Amino acid sequence: MEGKVRIGFYALTSCYGCQLQLAMMDEILQLLPHAEIVCWFMLERDSYEDEPVDIAFIEGSVSTEEEVELVKKIRENAKIVVAVGSCAVHGGVQSWEKDKSLEELWKTVYGDGKVKFEPKMAEPVENYIKVDYRIYGCPPEKKDFLYALGTFLVGSWPEDIDYPVCVECRLNGHPCILIEKGEPCLGPITRAGCDARCPGFGVACIGCRGAIGYDVAWFDSLAKTFKEKGLTKEEILQRMKMFNAHNPKLEEMVEKIFQGVEE
Amino acid sequence: MKNLYLPITVDHIARVEGKGGVEIVVGDDGVKEVKLNIIEGPRFFEAITVGKKLDEALAVYPRICSFCSAAHKLTAVEAAEKAIGFTPREEIQALREVLYIGDMIESHALHLYLLVLPDYLGYSNPLKMVDEYKKEIGIALDLKNLGSWMMDELGARAIHQENVVLGGFGKLPDKTTLETMKKRLQEALPKAEYTFELFSKLEQYEEVEGPIIHLAVKPRGDVYGIYGDYIKVSDGFEFPVEDYKKHIVEKVVEHSFAKHSFYQGEKPFMVGALPRLVNNADTLYGRARELYESHRDLLRPTNPFANNLAQALELVYFTERAIDLIDEALAKWPVAPRDRVEVKNGFGVSSTEAPRGIVTYALEVKDGRVAYADIITPTAYNFAMMEVHVRMMAEKHYNDDPERLKYLTEMVVRAYDPCISCSVHVARL
Ligand code: SF4
Ligand code: SF4
Ligand code: SF4
Repeated sequence: MEGKVRIGFYALTSCYGCQLQLAMMDEILQLLPHAEIVCWFMLERDSYEDEPVDIAFIEGSVSTEEEVELVKKIRENAKIVVAVGSCAVHGGVQSWEKDKSLEELWKTVYGDGKVKFEPKMAEPVENYIKVDYRIYGCPPEKKDFLYALGTFLVGSWPEDIDYPVCVECRLNGHPCILIEKGEPCLGPITRAGCDARCPGFGVACIGCRGAIGYDVAWFDSLAKTFKEKGLTKEEILQRMKMFNAHNPKLEEMVEKIFQGVEE
Repeated sequence: MKNLYLPITVDHIARVEGKGGVEIVVGDDGVKEVKLNIIEGPRFFEAITVGKKLDEALAVYPRICSFCSAAHKLTAVEAAEKAIGFTPREEIQALREVLYIGDMIESHALHLYLLVLPDYLGYSNPLKMVDEYKKEIGIALDLKNLGSWMMDELGARAIHQENVVLGGFGKLPDKTTLETMKKRLQEALPKAEYTFELFSKLEQYEEVEGPIIHLAVKPRGDVYGIYGDYIKVSDGFEFPVEDYKKHIVEKVVEHSFAKHSFYQGEKPFMVGALPRLVNNADTLYGRARELYESHRDLLRPTNPFANNLAQALELVYFTERAIDLIDEALAKWPVAPRDRVEVKNGFGVSSTEAPRGIVTYALEVKDGRVAYADIITPTAYNFAMMEVHVRMMAEKHYNDDPERLKYLTEMVVRAYDPCISCSVHVARL
């Protein structure tokens, strides 16, 4: 790209972790000479939500009517729209109870209280606008940002990883938590790129980078193992829904995992 | 109402975490209305974790807020462990506190240097300070990096730490790493002190002076810190954390997705670094104690801007404290990372000191699942008081240039170091 790249970082409903991750990268200082920050409320007081940008990074899930309007406006103003993190890409952990009604959730937390803004059930950005690229993770790894930014800056296009966390886990030689401890590790179906961070600490993967395409073989081996470990269908569904509740094929795939299994 | 002017509004306060705005309505005879509009959407964390497996709920809670994800994780885990009747070993407790301090150091450094300082130096954005304030930016990055590295080592990463589990940790760093951590903390001390010097020189706006009720956790073992079993109020009252609902009420306000909290039914109050110092300064030790004694006049309990300096003092204190806690753990080396826990039924409440003040988790566990969850975050505790101070600022400056008024009211909000996104995901009635 020629001249300074105009960048906007926009937040919907989120924990602000994806932008914090980006803000905490010392490497961002090297980016400065090449970029102009048009909008980034977390750092910049002179931020403008409705100015044209080359790259729009969007963090968070669409969770209010106001945010629906905001994402549309961002799309109109941006050449490239990047959904950043599990909230923007998959609807985030706030989508875990997607099947309950908004009214029910509202009542549990706010009782009869009313506010003057319009809440919505959390949804991925892609449900409202076209997204050009996704950065996965909750939060994404720093290198995910470096790779995406670096690639965009040289005028090229970053690629998705299409193998699961297990691959990185095996390459690192970590003991397998699923096999050895019987814990429900989601590594087999989760998109790699974190270098098997959690299994490296002896903790099962909770799938924070979201599932890779469902039509790959990893699902079957997980199916077999989960079955052997005695997990129920409901338990598996709940665990997979933490970061994947909006995946339209989830129920179908879990059903497939349990084909022929009596519960 | 007559002669109402157009409201002066900041739609989206910059350099805080989360989406909030300020709305000020002025009439002929002064300020009519001041509102902190909290427009960050709701995420219903309590509602979505009820009925879920305990360990999965514990993985989700930190996602309430990235700036204090360790605070959320450790408080939720403590509440859960109280509920199931498990007490971690002392050395595990010490190492969890070191992780918590990592969050404290990172969060304070970030808030002070990147969010607050640009206002004082006349920059709209901290990145623009790089050329002129090399030293300050360097220190900010060093302290921030130290804090996040501590969380990487003890929590698996700086945001959303999966390495903290019921019964301890998934894995502990080796002895050498802890020794290196100690060394890096020692090297950070002069930088923390420099921060305190720097912030002791900044203006504290007299406009917002007035009595404040301060709430803070009473430190366990009478050593200034993060964990405790009682809440101390600056009016002299104390109550067990389990009784929080008897003394604090939360109300839904229509201009905010976050609720407001009141002490004794209707009194706004403050939580955070300043309230910690006001209530617990007698439990400080070391260099921080000396600095506190020599700068008491600046650490005014009546001025929310003193919260900035209080955070700077805590950078010094917690850096020293982490060194001592690492020594405690090393004295018992080798330390087993994790104990077996039995997930029994029960109810537990934990209140701890997050970087920006008290965070409370109440969890009921039944058959391995969360049966009830109530969470109140520091910013939710603070909103009512914050609005009072924004109003005080507006009342003195409503005749000024609107841009200056906006800037001053934003600065009041920033002094509280609010986590707006974390405040809206909280608390049932
Ligand atoms: S994806 Fe995770 S880290 Fe990013 S904003 Fe959402 S909850 Fe926070
Ligand atoms: S299941 Fe989990 S622990 Fe086992 S190899 Fe895959 S990622 Fe690693
Ligand atoms: S191991 Fe799983 S949960 Fe952990 S960071 Fe990687 S994808 Fe996320």
